[in-house]
Formats: sequence, C-alpha cells, structure tokens
Amino acid sequence: MVTVNLKINGKQYSEEAEPRLLLVHFIRDALKLKGTHIGCDTGHCGACTILWDGKPVKSCQILAVQAEGANIMTVEGLEPEDGKLSIEQESFRENFAQQCGYCTPGFLMMTRYLIRNNEEMTREEIREKLHGNYCMCTGYQQIVDAVQDAQRKYFATKK
Amino acid sequence: MYPKSFEYLRAKSVDQALQYLKDNEGSRVIAGGQSLLPMLKSRLYQPTVLVDINFIPELREVKLGSNGDLRIGAMVTHYDVIENSTIRENAPILSSTAENIADVQIRNRGTIGGSICEADPSADYLPTLMALDARVVLKTTDSSREMKVEDFIQGPFETLAEDGEMLVEVIVPPSKANYRVEKYARRKADFAIASVAAIVSLSKDGKVADARIATGAQQDKPHRLREIESALKGKASKSVNLEAIIGPATEELEPLDDLHGGPEYRKHVLRGMLSRMLGDLLSGKEA
Ligand SMILES: Cc1cc2nc3c(=O)[nH]c(=O)nc-3n(C[C@H](O)[C@H](O)[C@H](O)COP(=O)(O)OP(=O)(O)OC[C@H]3O[C@@H](n4cnc5c(N)ncnc54)[C@H](O)[C@@H]3O)c2cc1C
Ligand code: FES
Ligand code: FES
Repeated sequence: MVTVNLKINGKQYSEEAEPRLLLVHFIRDALKLKGTHIGCDTGHCGACTILWDGKPVKSCQILAVQAEGANIMTVEGLEPEDGKLSIEQESFRENFAQQCGYCTPGFLMMTRYLIRNNEEMTREEIREKLHGNYCMCTGYQQIVDAVQDAQRKYFATKK
Repeated sequence: MYPKSFEYLRAKSVDQALQYLKDNEGSRVIAGGQSLLPMLKSRLYQPTVLVDINFIPELREVKLGSNGDLRIGAMVTHYDVIENSTIRENAPILSSTAENIADVQIRNRGTIGGSICEADPSADYLPTLMALDARVVLKTTDSSREMKVEDFIQGPFETLAEDGEMLVEVIVPPSKANYRVEKYARRKADFAIASVAAIVSLSKDGKVADARIATGAQQDKPHRLREIESALKGKASKSVNLEAIIGPATEELEPLDDLHGGPEYRKHVLRGMLSRMLGDLLSGKEA
C-alpha cells in the first residue's frame, strides 16, 4: 500500500491505496465522494471527469497513487455554499440538461472549465469541446443550451 | 476492471527512472497512461513494476537548440503542444496535429513521448513527425542514442526501444512551410481511418521546392509517400496532374482491415484526401 496525500475541493486527504487502484475508485470508495461517476472505464464517456489543477481529466485513466500532491475538484466542489447552486448547476437545471443524470457530473466539470477558459463559444465549438463526454438520454441539445447559458451568466458576473 | 497487481515506483529524475528500469526486470514506464491504462485493465500488459515519470520536471520542457531545432521533452502533453508558442512558431504543423487527437480531457494527460512509444498505426503524431524528419533521443543508465521516428517505429505497437531504455526527448527540425494535416474518422475522438500530413514549399517561380508527405492508419505503421514526393519535386506546381501521380503511387498499399474500415475503403479515403490536400498546397492556399 502507498499513502496518497492530495487536496480535493480545498480539503486535504491522506489515504492508503493499492498501486493498481484507479483514481475514480479512490475518490468514490476510499474518500466516499460519490458524485464522480464511472461509466465506460475505458476513457471514452467522460462520466468520471474531474478538474486536476483546474484542467479536466478522466479519473478512470489515472492511478490513485499518481495523484500525490494533486489539487483536485470534483462535482461536490461546485456548490459555492451549502444549499446554493453554482452557475453551472443552475444552468443545467433551468435548461433541463439532464434526464437520468448519470453523465451530468462529467458535463458539469467540463462546463466549469470551458466557460472560464474560452471566449464566447458558438454551439459548434461547444459540441466540439464536449466530444469526450457521452450522454445517452438528452440528445445533447439542452446540454449545449446549458453551457451557453452558463457562459453568459459567468460573463455577467465579470462585468 | 482492475489491472494485475504491480509495484509502483515514482521517479524524481531521469537518472532515477533509468536506474529503476534497469534494476527491475519486467518493469514498464507510465507516462500519461492514456494508452497504458486500458492495456493494464484488459491485462494485455502485466508489468511487475511501473515506473512513473510524471514527477520529472525536465521531461516537460520545450527548448530551442542552438541550431534552431525544437527539443520537446517526452512528457510534454498534447495540450502543451497546442498551446506552446515556441512549438507553434517553429513547427505549426505539429500544433495543428495535436488538435486532432482524442478529446480535451485526454489531451490534458497524454504525452508526445507516450504516443510515439505506443506506436499505434493510427496515432496522429506519427505521420507529422515523419514528414518533419523528427528524431527521438533514447537513454539507458549508460547509453544515449538518437534515431529518426521513421526508423524507431517498427510495426503496430512495436518500436526499437530496448529493455531499460526510455525516450527522453523528441527533436524536430523547424518547418514553417505551408502544410496540411488531416485525419478522417467517423467521430472526431476516434482513431483515424486515414490520416495525411503534408508539407509543401513552392519557389518564387512556382516550382515545387520541397514536398514531404506521410500517411497513417493505412498499414501496420505510418510511412512517407516518397513516390509522390519525388514526382512533385521540381515540377511547375500549376501543371501537375495529381490524379496521374496518386493512383499508381498508392496502388501497392495494402491497408488495414478492421472494424473501423476495410482496405478498399481506407485506400479510397486516402486518395481523396491526398488529391484535395495536395491540390490546395500546390495552388499555394495558406492553411
Ligand atoms: C478515448 C481515447 C481516444 C484516443 N484518441 C486518440 C486519437 O484520436 N489520436 C491519437 O493519436 N491518440 C489517441 N489516443 C491515445 C492518446 O493520444 C495517448 O495519450 C497516447 O497514445 C499515449 O500517450 P501517454 O502519455 O498516455 O502514454 P502511456 O499510455 O503512459 O504509455 C504508452 C506506452 O508507451 C510506453 N512509454 C510511454 N512513455 C515512454 C517513454 N518516455 N519511454 C519509453 N516508453 C514509454 C509505456 O510503457 C506504454 O507502453 C486516445 C486515447 C483514448 C483513451
Ligand atoms: S468512466 Fe472514465 S471515461 Fe468513461
Ligand atoms: S442524462 Fe442520462 S446519460 Fe446523460
């Protein structure tokens, strides 16, 4: 076993992990943060997306022991304060951008990253940047709506 | 899916990584892990020891050598290749190639060294690096050698890297000439059905001064299309009959046959891409 020290959503954790344990299982099963989902386990679907030093990565494609010293944000970290929704969550809710919700944590983390690191995105650009995330329910229309809406809301806070 | 158990060693320097590889039979490097993790999960690979090279800062550097060559560390990510201004200025075709790879998340983690060592016949970097005449620097605890990417790649998932040897750097001679790089896939994140990287420079009098063209996803390894290159060189760009060159030059190809596309289909796609991309380059259209 190897001890892994890392920061998630601003909180310091220190937990043992077997070298072969995937980061997504470490987050869900050792640290009990169940918001991050696992879908395909092959790096395709994006349900396991987290932010690592602010950039999105797929946590099923990383070993837990590799996250030593990492600064991570998961979907639980979006909430600005207890009971309040973040811009991303608010936009997904208002635009009906989820049905079963399985893919939602991954899309929310991508939205957090994309709206802050791009100039105003067109629908085409949003689709292009989200092609590492699969949704089996919505047909993507409302997800693109939600991302556009979230970016507008985010820019409004900057004015 | 769980990989088989292995020991994990975190290297803090190139020397330490090389020593770990030497001391542990059955060890393997983990770079971005984006190709390796699926191999471990399916247990196609069962290393006894994994040597993690993510914690070695010098492998993430991009430098310009005194002779103008780009020197790109093995652990430079696809994201960095897109964003790094030294790379974009000196080898813009390489930055454009990285934009075609996988998706935003995979590009944040996957590395240029890992992609070369994986030697996937459909990897996007390989045709581009071959067209650029790029070289790799390989090290062991007591040796260092350099070879062309074209020679290093041997076949599907096969390279000339020996036990205990690590790729530390990619050397790219600068190229600011006009280029095209494209992949064709059903969905953008998929590996290519056909890919082409082409660099063509025209002289003042409209002749083809240089042409370097490579293709991937066709055979067991990407390769240069030298017959087409030599047929173009020295010709007046306006009077080239591309169809007459491309047809015979691709006749002998025996493309891959897998679930993404059969051989005839792959060849058909390749010919279409070549004719359009080279047509644009010969007419001098900027990318
Ligand atoms: C969903 C998905 C889609 C993808 N789509 C594409 C695509 O469209 N185009 C494309 O080109 N690629 C694609 N890839 C592959 C991706 O680009 C990988 O990042 C890349 O192939 C491997 O780089 P890595 O750093 O992750 O290497 P790793 O997975 O860590 O390593 C790959 C192999 O190389 C060895 N190795 C790595 N680094 C070194 C080194 N420095 N010295 C010696 N040996 C080394 C490892 O031991 C391993 O065997 C995709 C991957 C996924 C999961
Ligand atoms: S579970 Fe990680 S990409 Fe699907
Ligand atoms: S809402 Fe069900 S998969 Fe996206």
